[in-house]
Amino acid sequence: MSTIERINQLSHRIFNTTLNEKNVSRSSNPFANFQKNVLNADVLELSSKKDINISGGITQGTKRIYSTFVGSINDFGKRFYEGIESIKEFGMRMKNSMVSAWNKVCEIGNTDVVEGLKNGYNAVKNVLTADVGKLFNTREKEITKMAKMDPQTQIKPMFAESLKALEEELVQAA
Amino acid sequence: MDTIMKSTKNFNRVSDIIDSLTINPNPDSVAVLEEIGTNSSIDEVREMTARALVKRNEPASLSVVISHKGKGINDMSTVVAMSTINCLLSLEDKELAMKVLEDTISDEGFEEDVRENARSVKALMALS
Repeated sequence: MSTIERINQLSHRIFNTTLNEKNVSRSSNPFANFQKNVLNADVLELSSKKDINISGGITQGTKRIYSTFVGSINDFGKRFYEGIESIKEFGMRMKNSMVSAWNKVCEIGNTDVVEGLKNGYNAVKNVLTADVGKLFNTREKEITKMAKMDPQTQIKPMFAESLKALEEELVQAA
Repeated sequence: MDTIMKSTKNFNRVSDIIDSLTINPNPDSVAVLEEIGTNSSIDEVREMTARALVKRNEPASLSVVISHKGKGINDMSTVVAMSTINCLLSLEDKELAMKVLEDTISDEGFEEDVRENARSVKALMALS
């Protein structure tokens, strides 16, 4: 090929591009141009297109893997369902326990047990408070009573006798 | 006498009698307290008696704890003497006590120890 022919070929290619286009049909995207080919649609087609044949392209091992995966999904669903069921059962047990406890409380509340406990508490409280108060009141009353007595004729013998008893007690303790 | 002894029936009885003589309006109460209480061999009884005499806040009762040797502020027991002094210092109306103290200090018929104690207590009461 001579130099002139080569130049003509080159100029022909430069100025007349339609000869090198495989598809010159109207494109929805006139700006899309890929390797001098105008695309028919907004879809990019790979130059090395691979046809995926699911029925024939998947090996037995892959099938087993998929099968295991799908099985595991099924198992997960089953376990999830069982979990939900156990939670539901647990909730029911909790509810039943609470209801049972509440019924027992109500039952106790309706009986005389609470009243008995209350009465016992009040009785103990009364004994403790009344005895201490009574003790002090008794001594106060006794002091007030003695304060009205004649010191020489009534209190003096009493005082001497009590003091003697205390001294004897002290001697015995020593 | 320990704390346990203070809770006995006899001790409570003696304490109640002394308390009754403290509030007894009869002036003879002072004589009973002096004769029985201040002559007791038990320090606690003497202490309670001295405090009862101070609380009566009468010239006769204050004279016992201030001017009498071996009683009140002149007691041989430091605890009894200090307790009596504290009770004197706690009086709301100290006028009678100061009068008795001054009389004791100025009266040469009392022993020097008694007058000296009275002088010290008067100084304390003047400061309080």
